[in-house]
Amino acid sequence: MDSDEDMHDANGSESLEDDFYSEDMGMESDDEDADYDFGNEETNDDAEDITFHRQQNYTILSESDIHQRQEDDISRLSTVLSISRFAACILLRHYKWSVSMVHEEWFADEHDVRQVVGLLENPVEIPNVRELTCGICFETYPRNIMSAAACGHPFCGACWRGYIGTSVSDGPGCLMLRCPDPSCGAAIGQDMVNKLATEEDKKKYARYLLRSYIEDNRKTKWCPAPGCEFAVDFVFGSGSNDVCCKCSYSFCWHCTEETHRPVDCGTVAKWILKNSAESENMNWILANSKPCPKCKRPIEKNQGCMHMTCTPPCKFEFCWLCLGAWSEHGERTGGFYACNRYEVAKQEGLYDESERRREMAKNSLERYTHYYERWATNQSSRQKALADLHSMQTEKLEKLSEKQSQPGSQLKFIIEAWSQIVECRRVLKWTYAYGYYLPEHEHAKRQFFEYLQGEAESGLERLHQCAEKELQIYLEADSPMKEFSDFRTKLAGLTSVTRNYFENLVRALETGLKDVDSTNSQAACSQSSNSKSVCGKGSKSGKNKAARSGGPSRSLDDHWSCDRCTFFNPGSATTCQMCEHHLPT
Amino acid sequence: MQASRARLFKEYKEVQREKAADPDIQLVCDDSNIFKWTALIKGPSETPYEGGVFQLVFAIPEQYPLLPPQVRFLTKIFHPNVHFKSGEICLDILKNAWSPAWTLQSVCRAIIALMAHPEPDSPLNCDSGNLLRSGDIRGYRSMARMYTRLAAMPKKG
Repeated sequence: MDSDEDMHDANGSESLEDDFYSEDMGMESDDEDADYDFGNEETNDDAEDITFHRQQNYTILSESDIHQRQEDDISRLSTVLSISRFAACILLRHYKWSVSMVHEEWFADEHDVRQVVGLLENPVEIPNVRELTCGICFETYPRNIMSAAACGHPFCGACWRGYIGTSVSDGPGCLMLRCPDPSCGAAIGQDMVNKLATEEDKKKYARYLLRSYIEDNRKTKWCPAPGCEFAVDFVFGSGSNDVCCKCSYSFCWHCTEETHRPVDCGTVAKWILKNSAESENMNWILANSKPCPKCKRPIEKNQGCMHMTCTPPCKFEFCWLCLGAWSEHGERTGGFYACNRYEVAKQEGLYDESERRREMAKNSLERYTHYYERWATNQSSRQKALADLHSMQTEKLEKLSEKQSQPGSQLKFIIEAWSQIVECRRVLKWTYAYGYYLPEHEHAKRQFFEYLQGEAESGLERLHQCAEKELQIYLEADSPMKEFSDFRTKLAGLTSVTRNYFENLVRALETGLKDVDSTNSQAACSQSSNSKSVCGKGSKSGKNKAARSGGPSRSLDDHWSCDRCTFFNPGSATTCQMCEHHLPT
Repeated sequence: MQASRARLFKEYKEVQREKAADPDIQLVCDDSNIFKWTALIKGPSETPYEGGVFQLVFAIPEQYPLLPPQVRFLTKIFHPNVHFKSGEICLDILKNAWSPAWTLQSVCRAIIALMAHPEPDSPLNCDSGNLLRSGDIRGYRSMARMYTRLAAMPKKG
C-alpha cells in the first residue's frame, strides 16, 4: 500500500486521538450527525487490489474440473509415450500425477520404470488350451471365462471379483493392485477393475482414483471444511497462503487450519494444541455466563458487541470483557479502550477485588485464560456475526428495503459492513494468540501491540455497534426516516476505515512489529489516526479544533507526538515513552 | 464361505495325495472343522532348530484365500520373529504381502524359510533380536538350541 498518502493524512490528525476516543467510547452518539472524511479512496482501491492478487495464486476445482484435468493428463501422457490410457494412469499415479516426472524417468530408463510400476513390455496371452485351473480357487474352467492381466496368469471371474473387492475395501492401496500370483508384479489397472469388479467396487475404485489425483499431488488439496467437495490448486511462491474456497470457508494452504493472518502456522498449531489441552479447564472457567457486575444476576451474551446493558430494573451498562462500567471506557481511562490489557496497574481501584486478583495474578493459567477468553469471545462473536450476516441477507434486508423505501441494490453497504465485521472478528481473534506468544520482556513491542490491538478493537466495536444497534432503529421505524442516508454514509465510512485499519494491522503484525520504524507499522498507526479523523464527530470540542490547527508533531505546548507510533509524550522526554523512538531534532 | 470351504477342500485333497512330497511338513485338518488346521514342521538343518518338530495352528478366516490364515507356533520357540509367549509370527506374507495364490502348504514352507533366515530388524522377540543385532550369534544359537531341546524334541528316557 502507498504509505505516503496515509502519512499525509495522519499528519493532519495525529494529535486528535485523545479527544476522539473520549467521544466515541461512550457509544451514545447515535443522535449526532456524522462528518466523514472520504479522503482515503485510493487506499480502498489498494485494499481491493491486494485481495485481487491474492485470488490469483490458486484455483478452486469442482469434481468435474478435477475429472477433466485428470483425463487430460492421462490422455496427453498416453499420446506422448504411445501406451494405453490405463497404463498412463498407472504411471501417473505412481509418480504422484507429475507429468514431468514421468517423462523424466521414462526417457531415462523405460525398462526400469516398467519393472518398478509393473507394466510388462511383452504382454503374455493366456495359455491357449481348452481348460485352465484358476490360481486362487484351484477349480478348472473353460478358457473363455478366465481373465488375466498382461502377465497371462489366469484366474476365474469369481476370484477376480473377490480379489479386487478385498483390495478396494482395504482402502486407496487398491490403486497399486498387482496380479495375485506372488511371483508376478504385473499391475492391475482400471480397465481390469471395470471389466471384473462389482458395480460398487468400480465406483469406489474410481473415487479413490479421483481422490488420489488431489491427495497425492503436491499442488492440490481438498478444502478442509466439513462436507465441502471442492479442491484447491495452489501456485507456490506467490505471497499469501490464504485460500478462500467456493464454499466460503477460508483456510491456510500451508497448515489447512482456518485462515489465521497475522499469526503464523507454528503459533496457530501451538495455540490449538494448548486450547485442546486446557479446554476442560477453560470450560470450567469460562462458563457461558457472567454475573452482572452490579446486580449479580447471571447474563448470557447473545449479541455481538461488548457493550452490555443489564435488563431492567438494573439497566447497568458495562463492558463484557472487563465487567467495568461502560462509562469508564470513555474519557476517564485516558481514551484507551483498555479491555485488551492484561496489566491492571492503570485500572487499579476501578475493579472489584475478585476481578483485580484475576487480572493481577501472574500465574500462567490466568494469563492464558485472559487471552483464551478474548480469543474465544471473538470467535463466538464471529459466529454470531456470520449468522447475522446470513439473516441480513435472507430476510432483514428485504424488510429494511420496505420500511425505508430503499431499493435492495442500494443496501449493499450493509452486507459489506457485516462481511467486514466477520473478517475483523477473525483477525482480532488471532491477535490474541499473537499476544499470548509475544515475549513478555519485549516491553515496547508489547505496549505498541496492545495499543494497536486496542485501536482495532475499538474501531470494530464502533462498526459492530453501528451495524447492529443503530440499524435496529431503521428496521423498527414505521415510516421512512430521512436520517437513513446519514446512516448509510456513516456505516459505509466505518466499513472502509475499519477495513483499511485491519489490513494495516495484519501487515504490521506479520512483519513481527520488527522495526517499529517501518512503513508498515507506521501505516498502521497513521491509519488508526486516520480512522479517528474519519469517525470523529466533526470538531465538537474546542481542544479538538486547537489540535487540528496546531498541526503535526509539536501540537500542544509541553507535549510532542511520536511520529512513529503517535504516542503523546511529555515535552521533557527525548525518546518516546511508548516505542523508544528518538525525538527527531 | 462356500468358496473358502471349496478351496480348503481342494487343499485337503492335495495334501492327502502328496503326503510324501514334502517330508518336512505334515498338515492335518481338524476332524470336525475345515477352518482349523494344525501342522508339524521339522526344524531346518544347519540351524539351532534342527532335529526339533514344531507344531503350528492355523485359524482360517471365512474370506480365505482372499484374506490370509492366522498362524502361530504352539511349540515354544526362541526366534526373533516369533512372539515368545503367544507364538504369533511376524511374516510379511501373512500380513500385507498375502496373495490368494498362496496355500497352507506354501505358508508352512515360508515359515521354515523364516526359521532359517531370521529378520532381527523387525523382532517380536526382542531378546532374541538383540542378540542377533549385537552380533552375538553364539548366544542366539545356544538359546535357540536350548529351547529346541526343551520344547521341540522327544524327552529322553
